[in-house]
Amino acid sequence: MENKSRRNFVKKLGVSVGAAGLVGGSSLLSSCTQVETASGDTIKLLTSSGELVEVNKAQLKPADMPNLTEQQKRGRKGLPGRKFVMVIDLSKCRNARECMKGCQKHHQLRPEQHHINVLQMQDAEDTAPYYMPKPCQHCDNPPCTKVCPVNATFKREDGIVLIDNERCIGCRFCIAACPYSARVFNWFEPRDAEKYEGVTYNIEANVPQKKGTISKCLFSADRLRDGKLPTCVSSCPNGVYWFGDQNEDAVTNGTTHETVSFSKLVRDNAAYTLMPELGTKPRVYYLPPKDRAFPFQGEIEDHHS
Amino acid sequence: MKIKLLFAALVFLAQQGMAQEWLVPEDQKSVQNPSEYNLDNVKKGKDLYLQSCKSCHGDPGKNNALPLVPPPPDFTSDIMQANTDGELFYKITHGRGGMPQFETTISEDDRWRLVNYIRNFNPENEPVLVEEPPKKAKILASVNEEQRQVEVFAEYQDKDSNYVVLAETPISIGAKKAFGTLPIGQVLTNDEGRAEYHIPESLIGDEQGMVTLVIDLGEGFINEDVVLDAAKVGQPKPTPKLIQKEVLWSTNENIQVWLLLSYLAAVLGAWGTIGYVVFLIFKISRAGKQE
Repeated sequence: MENKSRRNFVKKLGVSVGAAGLVGGSSLLSSCTQVETASGDTIKLLTSSGELVEVNKAQLKPADMPNLTEQQKRGRKGLPGRKFVMVIDLSKCRNARECMKGCQKHHQLRPEQHHINVLQMQDAEDTAPYYMPKPCQHCDNPPCTKVCPVNATFKREDGIVLIDNERCIGCRFCIAACPYSARVFNWFEPRDAEKYEGVTYNIEANVPQKKGTISKCLFSADRLRDGKLPTCVSSCPNGVYWFGDQNEDAVTNGTTHETVSFSKLVRDNAAYTLMPELGTKPRVYYLPPKDRAFPFQGEIEDHHS
Repeated sequence: MKIKLLFAALVFLAQQGMAQEWLVPEDQKSVQNPSEYNLDNVKKGKDLYLQSCKSCHGDPGKNNALPLVPPPPDFTSDIMQANTDGELFYKITHGRGGMPQFETTISEDDRWRLVNYIRNFNPENEPVLVEEPPKKAKILASVNEEQRQVEVFAEYQDKDSNYVVLAETPISIGAKKAFGTLPIGQVLTNDEGRAEYHIPESLIGDEQGMVTLVIDLGEGFINEDVVLDAAKVGQPKPTPKLIQKEVLWSTNENIQVWLLLSYLAAVLGAWGTIGYVVFLIFKISRAGKQE
């Protein structure tokens, strides 16, 4: 009994002394690191609320970026309460192709891949040719999402049709289903592939692109989340694009930043949608190419005679 | 080969140089401006300028044109003023490269008024429209949610830097939208510098009908835009459901219940029938053995 208790006592003593040593040591260590951080130099930072603050450099930690699954989840939900709509004024386009350049840079597209493409159009033999930028129409009744066998492409509640390259198996059913030829396939390694190596996939920008999967116009959903206009809209030098929320009935011009009523704009100018007979209900409206500001300079092959 | 290339390059450069000059037909050059150079016409020209030219050419005298190639010249610049009236009119009418044609969008008289406005900045001319330096101004505004109106009081700093009431001045009222401010109306201040603006019933706000209002004085005044935080004066914005679950054989997640149930019923029915047949065969063979 006595032996036992003594042994216990010694044991306890050993443990407690050890523990105290451990605690003391670690506190010493931690105080050392604290001293180190306090002496570091400071850096000026702008917070997300717009305040300029001074922070110790050593205390800086990389911001928590949403991981892949979180991004995929919120990318499927969309922005609450919004219903994005685009209006393209065909009378203003002069084929400057700034929208295409900006888009290809943003979405890591090769020169032959187009989320948005400026086409040369002529509707009938005797009518005037004109330029027509053609992005994805973001149909309210999209034929492409219905044929996807793996639920990789989907329609969001805010009107945008997106594709998840992580799910896409590259069957290209959606390319066949889309009547507007809005989708592209990554046949080759995407542009700047080495620059985007190791970057977390962002479903709202389709970046980094993946070889063997589909990519498509997504109204720059990542920029919309930040409250910015899509890349093509803000890079146009000629005021071709209007973009906004149909629910609040307002669209903003990407060049002049003028905001007008969406319903008035499309009503006054007799706007139309592409291939309405298909019942796809596009979210992209076109204002007719009347009183064009710039002369047509391309060549139109004569397919009418 | 090299000589050929060099020659080709020279020809190309020469063409480029030619293209730099904007040639106007001789008979167009000397056309006289039929529109009289007076305050009325210049003012109208200015309105047109703000509408159609400013987005590229910038504010006159500030050299803040868009950085395009070739650069759009400032209205006060020598390049611009060296043109004859006829040349200016021709260039506005027909456009070239990045400069749009305005033949179809601005009437002939108005294009001549634009030439009047450009000439307002000609050093040889007596300017008829003198821009006063912008005055400092202050706006106080509040929203009356019950009566659905905005009450505004405006004053500006006079020469002796005293604040005095701003009378008979238009104040524009806008509503904040997703990507910009939508102008909804304008109101004139009275002699006491006060104005009341009645908000139209049809104004759309957010899901709760809240609207953020922006009150602004026109150009000619320096003031901070007054932003009135969300007030419940608008219609709640409609948020209709966009997605219907009419996806066919895509994934289980999107399938409609009746389709799933009928599919399962068909599959179970088929397997059940097969099973029943097999069971009957066993039953028959067992009955045969017992005999």
